[in-house]
Amino acid sequence: MNDNAMSIPHLIMNASIVVQLVMLLLVVGSVLSWIVIFQRGIALRRAQKEYAQFEETFWSGVDLNELYRDIPADDPRHGAEHIFQAGFREFNRLMPKTRNTPTILEGVQRSMRVAWSREEDRLTQHLVFLATVASASPYIGLFGTVWGIMGSFQSLSMTQQATLATVAPWIAEALIATAMGLFAAIPAVIFYNRLSNSASRLLGKYEDFAEEFHAILHRNLQGRDSASS
Amino acid sequence: MSKGAQGMVVKTPRDPQDVGYLWPAVFAIAVHLLIVLFSLVQWPDSSAEPDSSSIVQATLVSTEAFTDQAQQANAESAAMSAADESEPESAAESPTPSEDEAAEEQAAREAAEAEEQAQALEAARAEAEAQAERRQEEAEAEAERQRDAEEQRRQEEAEAEAEREREAEEQRRQEEAEAEAEREREAEEQRRQEEAEAEAEREREAEEQRRQEEAEAEAEREREAEEQRRQEEAEAEAEREREAEEQRRQEEAEAEAEREREAEEQRRQEEAEAAMQRQLEGEAQAAAEAQQAEQAANSFLTIVKRAVEQAWIIPPEASDSMSATLQVRLGPSGEVLATSVVSSSGDGNFDRSAMQAIEHAAPFGELRDLPSEQQRNLRQFNLRFTPGDVR
Repeated sequence: MNDNAMSIPHLIMNASIVVQLVMLLLVVGSVLSWIVIFQRGIALRRAQKEYAQFEETFWSGVDLNELYRDIPADDPRHGAEHIFQAGFREFNRLMPKTRNTPTILEGVQRSMRVAWSREEDRLTQHLVFLATVASASPYIGLFGTVWGIMGSFQSLSMTQQATLATVAPWIAEALIATAMGLFAAIPAVIFYNRLSNSASRLLGKYEDFAEEFHAILHRNLQGRDSASS
Repeated sequence: MSKGAQGMVVKTPRDPQDVGYLWPAVFAIAVHLLIVLFSLVQWPDSSAEPDSSSIVQATLVSTEAFTDQAQQANAESAAMSAADESEPESAAESPTPSEDEAAEEQAAREAAEAEEQAQALEAARAEAEAQAERRQEEAEAEAERQRDAEEQRRQEEAEAEAEREREAEEQRRQEEAEAEAEREREAEEQRRQEEAEAEAEREREAEEQRRQEEAEAEAEREREAEEQRRQEEAEAEAEREREAEEQRRQEEAEAEAEREREAEEQRRQEEAEAAMQRQLEGEAQAAAEAQQAEQAANSFLTIVKRAVEQAWIIPPEASDSMSATLQVRLGPSGEVLATSVVSSSGDGNFDRSAMQAIEHAAPFGELRDLPSEQQRNLRQFNLRFTPGDVR
């Protein structure tokens, strides 16, 4: 009895075209947002793991030239490795050309900033889509609900006796649209916050690493300056 | 993936952070399917629980025939509206059982109605046939009577004719007898004359003259008799002709009368048929009017039912199997004059709540919108109160 008249699939199948389109849009949005959630979640976790490994390697006392040579030039790295590669390449290129320490450090810093900016762009990609789904899908669902309730009132005007039974199916199917909007929006909001937070933390670590690397280079240059002079 | 374990020395050329979209897509779709399955499985469980909630339902039963039909016409909507008063959590599952039953009931009632209608039609046709038969019998009796009268008249005429003929015959015979007597007398005369001749030879001369005179007179008489006979014959002939003429005329008149009678008969029959036709048409019109009236009554009773349903506060201890039937009498403007319990539920509170529901729902001003003869019919009806889905 219930799964005939008032079950969710039955209500969805009996909804008007506009409400059905809204529901379809929301389902697609929900699926896409979940794809983004999974994809970004996995990617950020890997990036964090990779950063931890690289940091460990970096601070294990390995020679920086050796570390740099281990990275093939034609294989672009990501994360902290990318920043290290960009900075060290710039350092190596500038070293033979000038003896001026501030110039070298400035060039290294600039190239590392560029690499960091690229990393930021890579880490936060698709998160904007998640934010869009999170903010827009409640409104889309609300639109479906309003449309469905309009239909319910139109059908109410047809009947001579206004009973709850005549409007109940309409309102139920209209409310399904809102439910689906919220269903798409809530995970999107939660995971947007979570993913953007972890991405910004990772970017903060990259920044820290860049500063530390910069400090090491600076120390080396100072030492060489004092040794040569 | 496993680059960390291999350290920094050996690195796969693949980008470790480039996850790709295949697995996320699979995961996302799996999540949605799980949620859909969860909703499908969850729903029947939740619907099975609150079956203890009762359905509130007021049904109308009236002493009039069409009141019953009113209920039947609105049985479905009544079943739908029954969900109104059920509790919100049971609103979803409540209408279906009563709907089914209402549909069955409706079907049954429709069948009954159709049968009734068919019976009514059958009865009307039978009556019309009987009437036609009666009329035809009357017409036949009339014709019989007329025929009898005609017969009698003809007989009388024939008798009169025979009388006339007999008289004429009598007269002729008399005349003939007279003529015979005359002739005999003449013969006697002659014989006497001859005797007289033989006797009175001597007086012959004088006698001769006298005889001559007598003969002359005789001749004269004979001529006269002849004349008379001829005249009589001519008269008889004329009489016969006249009679024949009379008879022909009579026959013609009879034929004419017969034709007229037949035409009359036919006309009457046609009239009877037309009357029957008119009667049938009138019956059809009456049936249509009755149907219209029935519809109006239906809508009125639906309104009453809804109003009473909404005003009814069911006592909490009322069980589903309880049922009370109340008779309601309305005033001309729809106000409730009296309510009386026809069949009690056995629970005084329950009966009182039903009565209060009627009082709260009153007045039913829609009664005034109905035509007057229906108002009379709808002044009094029964309301049956049954909470719960057992009907």
